[in-house]
Amino acid sequence: MDTNFVLTVINSALRSTTPIILAALASAICTRAGVFNVALEGQMLIGSFVGIAVNWFTHSALLSVLAAVAAGGLVGALVAVLQVKYNAADMVVGTSVNLLISALTALLLFIIWGVKGSIKDPSLVSLPKVSLPVISKIPYVSTLFNNLSPLDYLAYVIAIVLYIYLFKTVNGYHMLSVGVKREAAESMGISAIRTRIAAVIISGCLCGFGGVALSMGQVTLFTENMTAGRGYIGMAACNLGQNNPIIIILASIFFGFCDAFASTMQNSIPSQLTQSVPYIATIIALIVFGYRSKQKMKKAVKRGVA
Amino acid sequence: MNKIKESLLKLWNVLWRPLIAIILGLIVGAVVILIVGYNPISIYATMFQKSFFTVYYLLQSLTRSVPIIVCSLSVIAAWRAGYINLGAEGQMILGGFAATVVAVYMPGPVFLVMIAAILSGMVAGAAYALFAAFIYDKFNVSIVISTLMMNYIANYITTYFITFPLRDPSNSIAIQTREIPVAMHLPRIISNKPFNIGFFIALGLVFLMMFIVSSTKFGYESKMTGLNPVFAQYGGVKKSKVMYSTMALSGAIAACAGMLEIFGVKFRFSEGMFTSTSYAWTGLMAGLISALHPVGAFFSSIFLAGMQVGGQSIQLSTGIPVQVATLIQSTIMLFVSVHLFANFKKRRKKKDVVNLKKAGDK
Repeated sequence: MDTNFVLTVINSALRSTTPIILAALASAICTRAGVFNVALEGQMLIGSFVGIAVNWFTHSALLSVLAAVAAGGLVGALVAVLQVKYNAADMVVGTSVNLLISALTALLLFIIWGVKGSIKDPSLVSLPKVSLPVISKIPYVSTLFNNLSPLDYLAYVIAIVLYIYLFKTVNGYHMLSVGVKREAAESMGISAIRTRIAAVIISGCLCGFGGVALSMGQVTLFTENMTAGRGYIGMAACNLGQNNPIIIILASIFFGFCDAFASTMQNSIPSQLTQSVPYIATIIALIVFGYRSKQKMKKAVKRGVA
Repeated sequence: MNKIKESLLKLWNVLWRPLIAIILGLIVGAVVILIVGYNPISIYATMFQKSFFTVYYLLQSLTRSVPIIVCSLSVIAAWRAGYINLGAEGQMILGGFAATVVAVYMPGPVFLVMIAAILSGMVAGAAYALFAAFIYDKFNVSIVISTLMMNYIANYITTYFITFPLRDPSNSIAIQTREIPVAMHLPRIISNKPFNIGFFIALGLVFLMMFIVSSTKFGYESKMTGLNPVFAQYGGVKKSKVMYSTMALSGAIAACAGMLEIFGVKFRFSEGMFTSTSYAWTGLMAGLISALHPVGAFFSSIFLAGMQVGGQSIQLSTGIPVQVATLIQSTIMLFVSVHLFANFKKRRKKKDVVNLKKAGDK
């Protein structure tokens, strides 16, 4: 195996990781606040779409990213109102929002560009690439960090910020307490509804961010349903990361690798098989994780008895 | 007389929320159609005319509704028990694929092959759903995530098989299997129209489901598990047994949806035949709009199928993408979900208040 090839795969893995980390963080903040949010997929997809749409009209990468985050937050707000305020069933809201956004983006694709399926245009600007001052001169390491956009770095920063927010600030503790025991938190004067709505809206923003990282990161285009289950993979990553932003980073990198592996193997193995790799990996990872935590539980119970 | 009045009132109580949701959904769709630059009223007029009000399109809508009805039954079977099976798509793909392979390649008398095909399809669908149930039971892997991932896996793996080893060599463009023997095609009601007895099989399944839900021990146990798992267990319901059987039932029904489409309409398994048509998701919507009631799901499936057929003719004549139908449908589902649960909550709160007051008076 060629060293350069390995480095390229790692590089591609890092880029595929970004949307998954952001979706997983979005899932984490909702779970921590006690909301089961299934609409991550739709929140991401709208981010991908709005990013490209604003890009088309303004040719500004910054505005595109901001608009995508806002759009994700808006869908998050819709989910929050229905699910938290009106107590609609989480699965029903989640699946209908996902279907709704999928149809809406397909329609808007037609309304704005008159096309069906996908939009790709040379006039679309891609995200600027970060060239690190010293590292870009070191031969092998430079391949590793090649072509990464600011979003790819920002994802990790957001994970750390979220960790600090949840576990080191008063406000974050309030959010955790709402998730653990709503009544107890309310008796302390914390508004559970407001906290949960905030959590879902933040998750929407994070997903919007992840979506735009997808449509303007490695490639600059939008295709119908381009998120392809990444919202759900994010939920899996969040599950593996036990709702802890720092562990989530590791879990997401694993899924990023599966993604990168799938796309690099396409030349040697039929693409239909490689494309299924990320989804198979998700299930296997969840099984292994579930097996290990059950073993741990058993051990703990035994120790308790002894 | 009174009984008729009562049942009418009951019907109205069930129907008014979906009806309002449908009106609101159509309004949202109208806004989008306006933005595209067409007159929503005339668009809707053609849409419904080309879905229910001419024989040709009515038959097309009914044909299309078959897999949707059956998928909605699959969703109902699982969701009623509280197991969120989002994998109807994967299960119908796998079931349809297995049945097609057996039907095309197994030698022997037609009758036996047909039975073997149906059985293997149902077993494949049930096994696929059971796997999700198994890893939930043993390793606590969320059924929502696993069934959804398995949709993608089933789609890609079967596409691999029909692209390479099992591809029909006589057609170099379309990626599909060979056609199943003519003797196995489901009989058509009117010659040279795709409408076939599959619709009546679906109707039969609705009644079967109705029977399972309302008159069997299994239906009762699964309903109890869905309403309150802890209480059900306390009452002696074996939770894992209910889960395995509901998921197997759900998967087998989803497989039937795939088989009915293949044996009744398409006669072969082709690339993306279930994903691009989103039968499973439409079935899910139908099930949820009707609050998981089999008969309600039957009618809403026909309604949703009609909207899709109408949407397709709109797409052909005006270019407005067929997704406008999906948009309206998912909006309807959103409104239904809110109405249903908001009212339910209010009523419960009121009851609580009344109970409290009563307790206070004493």
